[in-house]
Amino acid sequence: MENLSILTHLDYTLMIVAIGAALLGAVSGALGSYAVLRRQSLLGDAISHAALPGIAIAFLLTGSKTPLILVLGAAIAGWLGTLLILSIVRLTRIKYDSALGIVLSTFFGFGLVLHTLIQRTGNANQAGLDTFLFGQAATMLARDVLTIGILGGIALTVMLVFWKELKLLVFDEGFAASIGFPIRTLDILLTSLLVVAIVLGLQAVGAVLMSAMLVAPAVAARQWTDRLRLMVFLAACFGALAGVSGTIISSTASRIPTGPTIVLCATVVVGLSIAFAPNRGLVWDRIRQQRNRRNLKMETSRY
Amino acid sequence: MLQGHLDILLIAIVTAVACALPGVFLVLRRMTLMSDAISHAILPGIVVAFFLTESLSSPLLILAAAGTGVLTVLFVELLQRTKLVKEDAAIGLTFPALFSIGVILISRFAGNVHLDMDAVLLGELAYAPLNRLKIFGSDLGPVSLYVMGTIFVLNLVFILLFYKELKLVTFDASLAAALGFVPTVIHYGLMTLVSVTTVGAFDAVGSILVVALIAGPPATAYLMTDRLSRMLIFSAIIGSVNAVTGYWVAFLFDVSIAGSIATMTLIIFVLIFFVVPNRGLIAIARRHARQKWEFAQTMLVIHLLNHEGLPEAETESAIADLHEHLSWDPGFTTQVVKYALNNRCVSREETQLILTEQGRTIAQQALVE
Amino acid sequence: MQGAEQKAIQVTDLTVAYQDKPVLWDIDLDVPPGVLLSIVGPNGAGKTTLIKAILGLVRPAAGNVLIYDKPYEAQRGIVGYVPQRGSVDWDFPTNVLDVVMMGRYGALGWIRRPRKKERELAMQALEKVGMEAYTTRQISQLSGGQQQRVFLARALVQDATVYLMDEPFQGVDATTERAIVTLLQELRADGKTVVVVHHDLQTVTDYFDWVMLLNIRRIASGPVDEIFTSDNLRETYGGRVAFMK
Repeated sequence: MENLSILTHLDYTLMIVAIGAALLGAVSGALGSYAVLRRQSLLGDAISHAALPGIAIAFLLTGSKTPLILVLGAAIAGWLGTLLILSIVRLTRIKYDSALGIVLSTFFGFGLVLHTLIQRTGNANQAGLDTFLFGQAATMLARDVLTIGILGGIALTVMLVFWKELKLLVFDEGFAASIGFPIRTLDILLTSLLVVAIVLGLQAVGAVLMSAMLVAPAVAARQWTDRLRLMVFLAACFGALAGVSGTIISSTASRIPTGPTIVLCATVVVGLSIAFAPNRGLVWDRIRQQRNRRNLKMETSRY
Repeated sequence: MLQGHLDILLIAIVTAVACALPGVFLVLRRMTLMSDAISHAILPGIVVAFFLTESLSSPLLILAAAGTGVLTVLFVELLQRTKLVKEDAAIGLTFPALFSIGVILISRFAGNVHLDMDAVLLGELAYAPLNRLKIFGSDLGPVSLYVMGTIFVLNLVFILLFYKELKLVTFDASLAAALGFVPTVIHYGLMTLVSVTTVGAFDAVGSILVVALIAGPPATAYLMTDRLSRMLIFSAIIGSVNAVTGYWVAFLFDVSIAGSIATMTLIIFVLIFFVVPNRGLIAIARRHARQKWEFAQTMLVIHLLNHEGLPEAETESAIADLHEHLSWDPGFTTQVVKYALNNRCVSREETQLILTEQGRTIAQQALVE
Repeated sequence: MQGAEQKAIQVTDLTVAYQDKPVLWDIDLDVPPGVLLSIVGPNGAGKTTLIKAILGLVRPAAGNVLIYDKPYEAQRGIVGYVPQRGSVDWDFPTNVLDVVMMGRYGALGWIRRPRKKERELAMQALEKVGMEAYTTRQISQLSGGQQQRVFLARALVQDATVYLMDEPFQGVDATTERAIVTLLQELRADGKTVVVVHHDLQTVTDYFDWVMLLNIRRIASGPVDEIFTSDNLRETYGGRVAFMK
């Protein structure tokens, strides 16, 4: 009897974690689609690393470890990092990739400095940093899942409400401006949605692997469809699938960290999509080439 | 104690310079993020080699990791070549996957190995001097100083030997190919160096902050000079300055050395970004302020020249109407007219503004340029 | 003004500078309604910048632009725009019909989605450019000429009075070029004003009735037979032009 209750308790924990991971996967998959289409796949990497000093400062200022406050700090720092990247690109001849690399690494370094300061005051322990780097999907509570659900739901709703505007912004900025849409504002909106997805995802997979959660589901989804609507939907599904399967796999054996497993699951989905997706996939492409060659041979042999 | 400081400082400087040199070519070739990818993706290579050698600084480990780094580059390029994935997404897919494999390997076998995730990601310079190179019982200094020193010499020799080729491949890959310098060979040579350098720097600063050492000094130097040779020298100097000041700040506040070096990298970058002559933000703002009147005056004389002798000239050059034609603020227009009058570019004839010879010359010159 | 007849586009003393470099100096241009005008000039003459300045996409250092006597912001609804084909990523996951419907987004305003009416308008426009068979085709699978036709169709559903087109003949096949010319001439016959950035000096006299010669400043503008002279061309191209009448 006692055994049984432990079992159901475990299942309950696992279910909570799986739901949380699925929600995070869906949100980051859907919003990551836009980042991939704008060729800003690595912006997520920069934002997630740049969030560290924000979390540290939020903690230093408030002394609180309330997730919402830390998330707010992370979001602000991530935003500032993005702004700095854009200013460097606009005002100097340094290119996007270098600006991104500098902001990513130096913000993170600054966060590390702040972290050692906090550690010295004895308020926190090393675990805080590890959580930030690798996430702690396995310890997600129902309360965390609720936060993810609400914030992620808001982000996705905003995305759906401004669907037409965001699509036009990503496809043809100049035309969007010519018919009167404020592209600067829309750009800020889209980046903010991305920041929300990232700071939520930090909890599950951590800063280092966050970019994969944005990029992998979107790249996989792109192979299956030529419509944005379906791509975003599929990316959300793939993200959720990776979240759930990663959680379950990592729970089957001891000492398999959840975050990296989720990322590997997403990578497998990408691999399968690139290989087997109809029309675009590599296998499909090979078959088509062979068929063409055969047809060509038949035609030439006829004469 | 003093010896310990000196050791750390030396390691920091050698590491910074060793990273900054190949970094120049990455920044110029828009491949900075490849170094980010490499520094993460080599983790599984390091782990596997560590299982075999049980040492973080054995040559085999460096070779294995460097091999993984080159494979990463190759894999990213293959993905791109399918045309199904763009470059940025290919990088964003590859390194987290490889890194994840590394993390899982470490945590699966964590009991058996002394490979700490924090050491890999963050490094710890303070511990670097503890591992000493001893031959016949005599202490020759910290091992990592020798490792990084060797890598630094390797980078320097490569760049000196292939300077011409690197320059050509960086600025005009197709010309380089036409002249018979196989760009792929130079490219992979450079990527191998970056991988080796990254592995070496791992110990000291970890995989995330390596990017600060690789991209920071060259980008800062790029704000200061146009010439490749100077950019290399400036990068090396800036790298050393970042390392020294970073170490000093870390010592002062007792915080992470690597983090502090990265922070100094950002501060010095932003500082240069503002103050560098000619290209800095301050210089640009001052030039703007200076040129604002000059530019407005040129617009004015060109406007007068364009309508000179035409039927509409009377309204176009009426002082009272000028602001309407140019859509300028009336106050601004009055000031520009005053400025131009002072410079004898225009003269006033009743309500009209008339070009002087000097004004005409300025307008014509501006149009020819 | 002195009671002159209405202008479709009126550019007055327009100067545009990127950072400190002027790209257009004191441009004046009057386009009467119902003309087919080509903007011609060497590379870097500021042709695209002029179009963008008319559309309010770049801020001028001096001067202003009026569309039927009102600033652009008030007249967005009657202006159609065809950007350069190379300015967008054609691998974007969308199909032909969807791109054309984007031409209605301005009229739809915020949040409202395109419906049956928009779809019908888009279909009509696609028929006009001869692309009705390609509605569900992914845009990356189109040829350069077909992509250009899609962009034209998108401008057509804007149902504008004034059209601004940036190099619509760039990289298109001969059939498409003829089809586009026919279309432009139909638009003019309907009383629309069409401004086209154009590269090919050989075809200016055949395709257009008005021309503007531009090289950072306006060299000349007006009816083709008055303006398109070897003297003016030499002044525009600095003697580097091989083509002479």
